[in-house]
Amino acid sequence: MSTPLANDTSGTLPRHYLKPCLLLLLAEGPSHGYELLEHVRRMGIKGAEPGGLYRYLRAMEKEEMVSSWWEPSQAGPARRTYVLTEQGRKGLNESLQSLRDVREILVTLLDRYDSLSNKAGASRS
Amino acid sequence: MTSSAPKSEQLRVLFWRSEILRVVYWLHGEGLGDIVDLDLIRTYLGVEGRGVDDLGVDLRENLSTYLEMLVADGSLVRDGDWYALSARAMAEGEAELATAFTDLVRPVLNECNDECWCQTSAAEAEACARSRSVPGLDQKARKANA
Repeated sequence: MSTPLANDTSGTLPRHYLKPCLLLLLAEGPSHGYELLEHVRRMGIKGAEPGGLYRYLRAMEKEEMVSSWWEPSQAGPARRTYVLTEQGRKGLNESLQSLRDVREILVTLLDRYDSLSNKAGASRS
Repeated sequence: MTSSAPKSEQLRVLFWRSEILRVVYWLHGEGLGDIVDLDLIRTYLGVEGRGVDDLGVDLRENLSTYLEMLVADGSLVRDGDWYALSARAMAEGEAELATAFTDLVRPVLNECNDECWCQTSAAEAEACARSRSVPGLDQKARKANA
């Protein structure tokens, strides 16, 4: 499967940012498709669209990171409820470690840039 | 998704039937719409922009055929390029999902923790099962089965 929302990230987000987002949201509690869509948009993936989310959830189900079932409702049609599996929790930990590594790299880069800017500022004055 | 599609035509029909209906039910359940067209189905099933699948089968033609099969068996109704769940499919789907749900939450003796009163006898287990079917208590059972 290709990355469904690859074109929807703003360009400033890590390439596979959606995966840890979804895993984290499901670690916080069971959820439904539309709710997840709203939350990932609020987490910075503004262009997230339902088709991509659906495929991502299906892929994660196949990888046994997520499980789901239909939840009948008294008030409306049945909805699919998604929960995180143990495998998903491990995936979340790995993804977050990877993001932490990226953060370290970015902090190093930004610190060096700040240091350079400060030196340039000092030599001008 | 296509790599996991079955190889025989009969199973492929069942596979795509299930995949298509699942998308339509999903959209309906999420309140995202009650009608779909071929392109939307292709997008959701991840076959967007691909003319043929891993087996060399023309997906556009086949998905269209599978949609028509669902129309023919009365699961979908067609209006031009758009398809919707038929009233019958809607009712059957709800019943099917409710049954699946019942199976998921149906408690059995010793299913609860050691503190639960259904541990004491079969009669208590039955009473426990009845109480668990009360809306609101379902969440606990579903969680336990998740």
